[in-house]
Amino acid sequence: MKKLIITLVVACGLAGTAKAQMPQDAIYMPKKTVCAALMYGHSSWKEYWEHTLKRENYNIGTLTTQSVSLMAAAGITNRFNIIANLPYVKTDASAGNLMGQKGFQDVSAWLKYKVVDLKGFSVNALAGGSLPVSKYVPDFMPMSIGMQCRTASGRLLLNYTHPKTGLYVTTHGTLTWRSNISVDRDAYKSGDKVYNTREVNVPNTYDIAARLGILRKKWQTEVWGEHGACLSGDYIARNDMPFPTNNMQATTIGWYGKFQPKNIGLNARVGYVIDGVNAGQSTSYMLGFLYQFNW
Amino acid sequence: MKKYIKHIVTITLIAGAAGLYSCDKTVEEPQRVGYTPANVDDKAGSWKTYVLASPTEFSVATPSSVSSTEYQAELAALKQASASLTQEQQEAVVYWGAGAVYRWNEIARELAARYNIPPASNAEGKYPVPDANNPLADPKFPFANPPYTARALAYLSVAQYDALVAAWNYKYKFKRQAPSKTDATIRVALPVSSIPTYPSEDAVVAAASFTILKAMFPGEVPFLEAKYNEHKQSRQWAGMNVSSDITAGNDLGLAVAAKVMGRARTDGMSAANNQTVTSGMIETAKAMGLSEVWLSQETPARPPMLPNYGAVQTWNFDKAALVKLRPGPPPALNSTEFQQNIDELRSIQKNQTREQARIANFWADGAGSYTPPGHWHRTAANASHEARYSEVRMARTLALVGTTLQDAGISCWDVKYYYYYPRPQQFGLKTSVGLPNFPSYTSGHSTFSGAASAVLGYIFPERAAEFSAQAAEASVSRIYGLIHYRFDCEVGLKVGKNVGQYAIDRGKADGSGL
Repeated sequence: MKKLIITLVVACGLAGTAKAQMPQDAIYMPKKTVCAALMYGHSSWKEYWEHTLKRENYNIGTLTTQSVSLMAAAGITNRFNIIANLPYVKTDASAGNLMGQKGFQDVSAWLKYKVVDLKGFSVNALAGGSLPVSKYVPDFMPMSIGMQCRTASGRLLLNYTHPKTGLYVTTHGTLTWRSNISVDRDAYKSGDKVYNTREVNVPNTYDIAARLGILRKKWQTEVWGEHGACLSGDYIARNDMPFPTNNMQATTIGWYGKFQPKNIGLNARVGYVIDGVNAGQSTSYMLGFLYQFNW
Repeated sequence: MKKYIKHIVTITLIAGAAGLYSCDKTVEEPQRVGYTPANVDDKAGSWKTYVLASPTEFSVATPSSVSSTEYQAELAALKQASASLTQEQQEAVVYWGAGAVYRWNEIARELAARYNIPPASNAEGKYPVPDANNPLADPKFPFANPPYTARALAYLSVAQYDALVAAWNYKYKFKRQAPSKTDATIRVALPVSSIPTYPSEDAVVAAASFTILKAMFPGEVPFLEAKYNEHKQSRQWAGMNVSSDITAGNDLGLAVAAKVMGRARTDGMSAANNQTVTSGMIETAKAMGLSEVWLSQETPARPPMLPNYGAVQTWNFDKAALVKLRPGPPPALNSTEFQQNIDELRSIQKNQTREQARIANFWADGAGSYTPPGHWHRTAANASHEARYSEVRMARTLALVGTTLQDAGISCWDVKYYYYYPRPQQFGLKTSVGLPNFPSYTSGHSTFSGAASAVLGYIFPERAAEFSAQAAEASVSRIYGLIHYRFDCEVGLKVGKNVGQYAIDRGKADGSGL
């Protein structure tokens, strides 16, 4: 469950952050400039959807996922950027006796290209991918810090920014392919079937989002809504634990803001899951420190 | 530059989008196919049965001769049934052709995995007890935990074995050869051996397995019935059995399994969850000097799993032997030995290696899995398949392993509730595999694994070292998962091996000469 949140925060919102430049905005670093960001993320849930049943788990209490990410967005040209991110993730449960997990998770990168740029309207194409960078355990859910998938994403992002006021509206949709994974055990149950293999099919995902905000030279403020879900998958059985094969779904609303008067700045993001399936009802926030320089 | 970038992005997007849907994510599993047995075991009709008084306790009618018009009509019907198969029928033939005992053991393990989830607590903070008369309500019946699954699989294997011994007796009494040997124009889809086909071993196993499993998993009757019918039909689609082979096998399997279920109804399992016995157990443990007894670490506190399972009837030894198998007490909680053991766990918790986590996860077999007894049944079934065992010899293997696994469970549960020893989690340890809800000393995994590996080592002496190493790893996995002290595991493994010896002694004396 927490993984979905990470997916949404880290993959969809890849960084859920950063400067002028994220995989979910139409902002570009100018040629030969880099924005580096150091971000702290905090996400927690007490209630979750066991399939569609909303419940608490007294033997987990509140599950908290914290992360520290290093991210960089580089302007190759004024309309082609590369964004990379690496998070260190740590999980803890406030009750029960499940051991928290921690480690470097998945390195991810996006290529972002402005295909059309016309009178404030832009069409942006993004291609992304991620790779696990450590051998964390993927199926000790919900304590696992990630799922060990390799992913490849394609995203189409549309934006209109009113040139004078900076008022903007953004919408985007993403398809993400996720590789199968290998778990430590050589048999597991998915749906009603026992698979006698270490290989686990992890469903592909999609997400859609809409954002409304104001972008000025030194600051930005935005409200947003996102819906992310798997394209297939099974569900958490009654009183069972989640598993990477689950069809996790979440609808999240939130706010994003940035203040960057010079080459140094701050950004912040909050999010709250309003509905879900096989997922935790997370409240999340992120704080980032931004530093822009030329190369 | 700009042009190149545009191309790169376009190509990446197209390749990415194509990749999303073209990449094959089908999960590949090892496939098992049918074989001609390495040995037909023509004397198996006199092997010692578990519950049947003798292989002839249930009679099977003399079949019509192969030259009779009656049999010729059966052959003609078989020829028609096997002449042309749909894709679905072909798949059923191949699936069941891998082995009757093999497949039903696999089905039982899958059911165990589906039902191995502890009940959730309700609004009153209580844990409702699963109800056999309402098996699909929440919580589902059964909670197929390790003791439950050990028993279900033991009965399944015993019923299959007893029924097959009886079937082998009649097969070699009547010696009616395979239909395709009488009529070579019958299209067969599977290897044909010299084993006589009346009564059909597949029908015997299907009927016996269906009878046991529908009692053990009463919510799965429609699922099991479909399997049962498909299995029997597949033998005709494959051109392997005429209908009288199937009918005779079916009747025999039903009769034998009904008798085996008679034992199940009176083996003490209905009282295994008697929670009133725990206060006496706690008193006994305290009287022996235990300063802090086991307590459920769950919220709300969950009643311990099957505290009276130690009183369930054993297979390969009697009550006196059960008491004799009981090991000496675990270290006192204020002893240096205890301190050393808990310190070892604290040190693992601090620096658990990835390899330790892997071993803990590989053997965890926790909620939602087929449990450690299921794990060892799988190992035994695969080893028997790889050795190309006949149905009756595979059933013997699984009965020896299955009964020793339940014996191990009974013995271990007897020990656990006799000493009522606290888990490491009562002293602040976490776990990377999940904490079972019953006392610590001794380790169930270790006891199960010690017993099963000993029996498998006797049956497959050339693989004994491999099974013994697996058992040692399964045992130590519970230390790496932080839910058992090393002494829980070491003593459990040793007791398990002693439990296994009783099954080995039985195997050596069962008339098989193996």
